[in-house]
Amino acid sequence: MQKKWLHRIVALLAALFLTVPLLAQTQPVQAAANDTSLADIKKKGTLVMGTSPDYPPYEFLVNNKPVGMDIDIAKQIAKDIGVKLVVKQMDFDALLVGIETHKIDMVLSAMTPTPARKQSVDFSNVYYNSGQSIIINKTDKNIYKNYKNFANKKVGAQTGSLQYDLVKKQIKGVKMTGLTKVTDLIIALKTHKIDGIATESAVATAYVKNNPDLMVLNHQFNLSETDSGSAIAFHKGSGTLVAAANKTIAKIKKNNLTEKYLADAGKSLKVNVADTSMWHYRSYFIKGVGYTLLISLIAVLIGVVLGTLLALSRLSHFLPLKWLATAYVEFIRGTPLMIQVMFLYFGLNIPALTAGVAGVAMNSGAYVAEYIRGGIDSVPKGQVEAARSLGLSYKDTMRYVILPQALKIIWPSLGNEFISLIKESSIVSVIGVTDLIYQLRLVQAATYKGIAPYAVAMVIYFILVFGLTRLLNFAERKMQHA
Amino acid sequence: MPSMMIETKGLKKSFDHTEVIKGIDAQVQQGQVIVIIGPSGGGKSTFLRMLNMLEQPTAGTVTFEGQNITDLPANKLDTVREKMGMVFQSFNLFPNMDVLANVALAPQRVKGSSQKAASEQAMTLLDQVGLADKAHAYPASLSGGQQQRVAIARALAMGPDVMLFDEPTSALDPEMVGEVLKVMQGLAKEGMTMVVVTHEMGFARKVADEVWFMDGGVLAEKGTPEQIFDHPQNERTQSFLAKVLEQ
Repeated sequence: MQKKWLHRIVALLAALFLTVPLLAQTQPVQAAANDTSLADIKKKGTLVMGTSPDYPPYEFLVNNKPVGMDIDIAKQIAKDIGVKLVVKQMDFDALLVGIETHKIDMVLSAMTPTPARKQSVDFSNVYYNSGQSIIINKTDKNIYKNYKNFANKKVGAQTGSLQYDLVKKQIKGVKMTGLTKVTDLIIALKTHKIDGIATESAVATAYVKNNPDLMVLNHQFNLSETDSGSAIAFHKGSGTLVAAANKTIAKIKKNNLTEKYLADAGKSLKVNVADTSMWHYRSYFIKGVGYTLLISLIAVLIGVVLGTLLALSRLSHFLPLKWLATAYVEFIRGTPLMIQVMFLYFGLNIPALTAGVAGVAMNSGAYVAEYIRGGIDSVPKGQVEAARSLGLSYKDTMRYVILPQALKIIWPSLGNEFISLIKESSIVSVIGVTDLIYQLRLVQAATYKGIAPYAVAMVIYFILVFGLTRLLNFAERKMQHA
Repeated sequence: MPSMMIETKGLKKSFDHTEVIKGIDAQVQQGQVIVIIGPSGGGKSTFLRMLNMLEQPTAGTVTFEGQNITDLPANKLDTVREKMGMVFQSFNLFPNMDVLANVALAPQRVKGSSQKAASEQAMTLLDQVGLADKAHAYPASLSGGQQQRVAIARALAMGPDVMLFDEPTSALDPEMVGEVLKVMQGLAKEGMTMVVVTHEMGFARKVADEVWFMDGGVLAEKGTPEQIFDHPQNERTQSFLAKVLEQ
């Protein structure tokens, strides 16, 4: 899996860092000249591993704890260095940025050391090479014997992944379908939108084991050395740390430990698929709902306060303040929320949840500011005059007379903002905040069920939004009454 | 000898290079009731609104109780405005609070009165304008006449030294004009200094100590009601009154 657009974001972030002196300290500049990477890890006593735990048997969650072959290998490395392992969950897309910005020390996420990736990070030796496979529907087993049979057929693969490139290069006239998640590809295959899925053999085997309608064709494609295998990614210039990891990998290979790790992963998987009912996974969804509500609520509260200040600044006669507020509102509204959240998380040294809430709140503030400005503008001018003629200060006039009336006018818009916030806050899942979307992905990965978790999440979102709409309408009626 | 309450000197106002007030020198003595009449667009309201700096003059000065208030900073202006009650054509009650809160807000926020004291005072004032029974109604449920009486009570709550009325009955249905004028007349009787912009000639004749006729941005003529209504000197006053009184 590799994302081209992500590299662009990294480039953009890097460019921004250079232009923002305050952030310069976080810019990854430590060159190889003085490699203290291993000593640094030993000094801080922890080895932080980033992974995207939706990829069994490499990494997945059992009872909300990350397990799998990659975790076992990482544990071994930490043990050999003599430090504690910390596992940080992130979207696959965000992992390399995490390394570049020192959020994490290494990545084990079934990552293939492609030449493109090698330009931005250092890789260990390959620790596992499972080969490439194609998953098909059992009913098609007489049509497809190997990858060459898929000429002019529809084949799916993860967007930007190694498999995607392999299919495109090695199957003639193939029609590609690219999706981000394997679980979504499985749905597409089962509903016959595609004829096969190209993926890692270990992953293919795990999925097929849990889907009796599917079967796997192993040892596909014409593979070169760089086209396969998984390796550990480190920050550029971490020679001593890479060497330490390679020592452990050599030991693992010598003792054939990967076989044991995979067997253990298989056992863990059975725990997950013993009961794949959505009810069994309710704790995942509850946690997701909790975070989604928490993020939305805090963000809307901060958003309203920030929005009010911005609106008053935009209406102010003090020009620098007015320009600053206008610039802020226009800039935030002119850039995608996802990039804002990623910028905050990777650009500043703050935890994912904080970055997620701050990003959503700052974004919301810009929109709320415009609602409030509109609301203030629509309060008749006579109200200000009456209040000021009584000797009320500007502050009291705003607080007691204008803002309450503006609030009543913009209440429906604010309600809409909160509702869309509940849905839009799902963006924070890219930096690993365990909101409803993130949890839904985990359930998909754990149960090998694609559609059911979507349905559950959809119903939950609907209940949240519908309940909230009722609540807001109730509040609105109360206000009208007043 | 009554003391000077308000004095304007060379007061001018332009909107977008159009001069609407062209230099007014005038005085209001304590306890006087001044009624300003004149054709629409003659600058009456603009002049009145400059007296408490709702409109900033382009030139000239306004002196209130001996203090030049023309270029006061905002916070100082607030303390001056406390003493100058203003009543607007469109009432401008605060629709987000009930009648009692409308009247009690400014004494609490500006003078620091306790809620209890402010409410009691508000009730007294509402009783005075005949609306004690509407204390807990919201402005939207009141008639125009009732709203304007609340607005007067609200201005009185600050204990002003002078009351400015900007066409207080122009937005009212005819049958409600009387109740508002009655309250104003009561105020005048109690000795309140008042500056009233109005088209109610009957009120002007009966209540005013001095009638000012404004036209074309200047104070064209002033005098007692008898002088203005019965013996107008200025040609424009004559033609205005002829038109108004014809109706």
